[in-house]
Amino acid sequence: MTDQAVAPTPPVRRFRIGDRSFALVVSIAVLVMMILFLVIPVASILLRSFVGETGWGLENYTETLQSGRVWELVGNSLAVAVLTTILSLSLAYTYAYAIQRTHVVFKGFLRLVVMTPLFAPSLVQAQGLIFLFGRNGAFNRFLGFDFDIYGFWGIVLADVLYTFPYAFLILSAALAASDARLYEGAVVMGAKPFRIFRTITLPSTRYGIAAAGFVVFSLTITDFGNAIVIGGDFNVLATEIYNKVIGQGKFGLGAVIGVLLLAPAVISKLLERRIAKRQHALITDQSKPLTVRDNRRRDLVFGLYTYAVACVFMAVPLIVLLASLVKLWPYNLAFSLKHYSFDVQNGAQPLWNSIGVAFATAIFGVILVTVAAIVSQKFRTPLRGPISFLAILPTSIPGMVLGLGYVLAFNSTANPLNVLYGTFPLIVLLYVYYNHAQGFLIATTSLKQISATFDEASTMLGGSQLRTLFRVTLPILWPTLFGVGVFFFMRAMVSLSAVIFLITPQTQVAAVSVLQLSDRGANNQAAAFSVCIMLIVLGALLLARCVLWLAGARHVSLIR
Amino acid sequence: MKNTVLAGVLAALLPTAALAGEITVYTAYEEDEAAAFLELAKQAMPDIEVNMLRLSTGDLAARIIAEKGNPQHDVIWGFAASTIVNPEIADTLEAYAANGVDAIPAAFRDGDNMWFAVTGYMAAFCVNTERVEKLGLDVPKSWADLVDPKYKGEVVMPNPASSGTGYIQVSSILQMKGEDEGWSFLDQLDGNIAQYIKSGSKPCNAAAAGEYAVGASFDMRAIKNIEEGFPMVMVIPAEGAGNELEANALVASSKNKEDARRFLDWTLTPEAVNAYYDWKAIVTVPGGSLPERFRSAGMPEDTNSILYPTDFQAAGKDRDRIISEWQRRYEN
Repeated sequence: MTDQAVAPTPPVRRFRIGDRSFALVVSIAVLVMMILFLVIPVASILLRSFVGETGWGLENYTETLQSGRVWELVGNSLAVAVLTTILSLSLAYTYAYAIQRTHVVFKGFLRLVVMTPLFAPSLVQAQGLIFLFGRNGAFNRFLGFDFDIYGFWGIVLADVLYTFPYAFLILSAALAASDARLYEGAVVMGAKPFRIFRTITLPSTRYGIAAAGFVVFSLTITDFGNAIVIGGDFNVLATEIYNKVIGQGKFGLGAVIGVLLLAPAVISKLLERRIAKRQHALITDQSKPLTVRDNRRRDLVFGLYTYAVACVFMAVPLIVLLASLVKLWPYNLAFSLKHYSFDVQNGAQPLWNSIGVAFATAIFGVILVTVAAIVSQKFRTPLRGPISFLAILPTSIPGMVLGLGYVLAFNSTANPLNVLYGTFPLIVLLYVYYNHAQGFLIATTSLKQISATFDEASTMLGGSQLRTLFRVTLPILWPTLFGVGVFFFMRAMVSLSAVIFLITPQTQVAAVSVLQLSDRGANNQAAAFSVCIMLIVLGALLLARCVLWLAGARHVSLIR
Repeated sequence: MKNTVLAGVLAALLPTAALAGEITVYTAYEEDEAAAFLELAKQAMPDIEVNMLRLSTGDLAARIIAEKGNPQHDVIWGFAASTIVNPEIADTLEAYAANGVDAIPAAFRDGDNMWFAVTGYMAAFCVNTERVEKLGLDVPKSWADLVDPKYKGEVVMPNPASSGTGYIQVSSILQMKGEDEGWSFLDQLDGNIAQYIKSGSKPCNAAAAGEYAVGASFDMRAIKNIEEGFPMVMVIPAEGAGNELEANALVASSKNKEDARRFLDWTLTPEAVNAYYDWKAIVTVPGGSLPERFRSAGMPEDTNSILYPTDFQAAGKDRDRIISEWQRRYEN
């Protein structure tokens, strides 16, 4: 205010200059964080691929690439990842379409139920599938089927379930934004529903589909949990890293495969600009939100589909709950609560630790991801390219690789951030950056659909870009961001593969307790521990729901 | 609840540098045994704050290698001897002749006192009696039995490329039969194997769950699963069981070597040895006797009679070669 009184410069210009330097400062801050907590750790481990027995060189690469084995693994990994991506995307798109564009009933329930694979450690998901479809699983043992889940199809099934929630979150955000005027125009011109879908709906969700496809593909190709538990003898690249690093302690050879796995991120980065160019903003200054018309036949068809999918997703948590409540699954089905008196190291304390870590991860995750999304989408600085690439890079890094990278980077006394090693804050940062890509893509998918005309309009009216951000963009975006926070919370409650390398005797988290129990063959107790984790996640969702309710956002759903 | 969370966060924020009277121990003992041993250790040394991190052998090895530049632990406790000799880990150790180490036969400790093993485990089959009965099979008694075509698709064993237990099984077969005959036996066995599972304990858990009839695994896993109540018996292969030692060692970079040494000494005290006998079938120091639950699971009183006299040196030296040959034969 005093500024203005002393030197009355034209407001528009003054704000613009402020904008530009502000944008640059924020961009630099985002990039520095990414370098510290993503680039340096990942580089510390992947550079090991150039360290052979005789010193620096390409020894590990020649050894790996010359064996026929690696190419077979590449083939196996691609087969699983391509098939999973196709299945997961088509199933999730249809599901998200049903939620956003039809009148199926109990949408809240339908949204929640497909999130269940995120509620428990993936180890438990895979164990649940074995309880159901294993050779001695419920279907074979009690219903007389003859399944053998182990192998290629088992991995695909497990990976579709595992990736579906991610695909759904992104696609649902994409389908949520729409401009009724386009659809009204199409109807007036006499277009048939399928034509409308093909010419309006599909193109307007192009970025969402690409983003979801990338996430599903990357998650599948880097996942070793499902491949190890259900894959049988079907080996993939991610299990080969496990063999080399965990089985034989050979970081160099494991790192070579880690480098190969970065390929999808690089390719998608090259394609991203082409896809993003064709994505037009859906919410403009003139857009009207779409109101879904009544159509009973359509609702019935989509209703049947969504409830069939929901049943499949219910099955795993229910069988895990059942296994936690009987004496000895599947031999002694007498009711018992004994598995809930945890005799694992530190008892239930890791659950409380995890709640704290998960809350912190949710808060920091939302802030960091939102800023990164805005910086890469709305600020025209030279840094937006590198930022948007690094933002999605983490999906291409197996958790084990990132976790060991954190050890190498932060345990080193040469790193000034060494004080973080062995603390909860570092675990929080690991979770944020490990799940950065998914959070970032959900945020950008929404952001891309908000027209740049808002920025232009408010600039013309003398508002700064920053002001537009706070007055226009964030108010439209905040329900999505709230959902991103919930997503980070869930991930921090259950992720295992990266954090296993960072826990100390003082910083145990819940997912590790599940692993300890499962390692020692106490599957029923592991199931009971997982049920507690699931209840906490459900409780957190309920709490978030209440917060939204109290904030007056009654029609905003947490999971879009 | 909130206070507990807060306290945890605050505790973690405090400097982690070793305080006097505080040591950090890394162990690969199974979670329940480690907890039982630790309880005793704390009673015996109330003035030392012992922080224990328990991870499976492979995870712990990766962690130790990654932390090599600035190790966080003072003691390695109960960790596979075939892995502790990996140069990346062996380089971080310091020789220490613990009090009473002479009671351990020379085969079970390092000649230069870099490590010593008080306990060990041996290969064992976990056989699901319900499944065996349902399929009309017999309980196999030996590795040789397992190549019978009637077990086709009903046997799982650990993958030696990712599991130490898997490696001792393969290497003991090669050592007892010689390489030529050994590999041709493994070729035959491969025809019956349904899965090479990536951990050493999972094959036993899979057999306990009734997913397969026979899981090649190790003794303690079998005994504990039987105790849990699974319809299962343990079989020690008649040819002699391959075995692995669980080694203890002092970390060279420890800032509290005095207490670290006291802890290592404690692992050889009669009190500790007695506790080992409660949990372990292989204890290298004479002292206790085999508990009833081991005997009822099928463990003979004199465990030495069933162990194959493993050449640990050769097993360590040949590891890379055997694993790549194994992968060439059975993983393509």
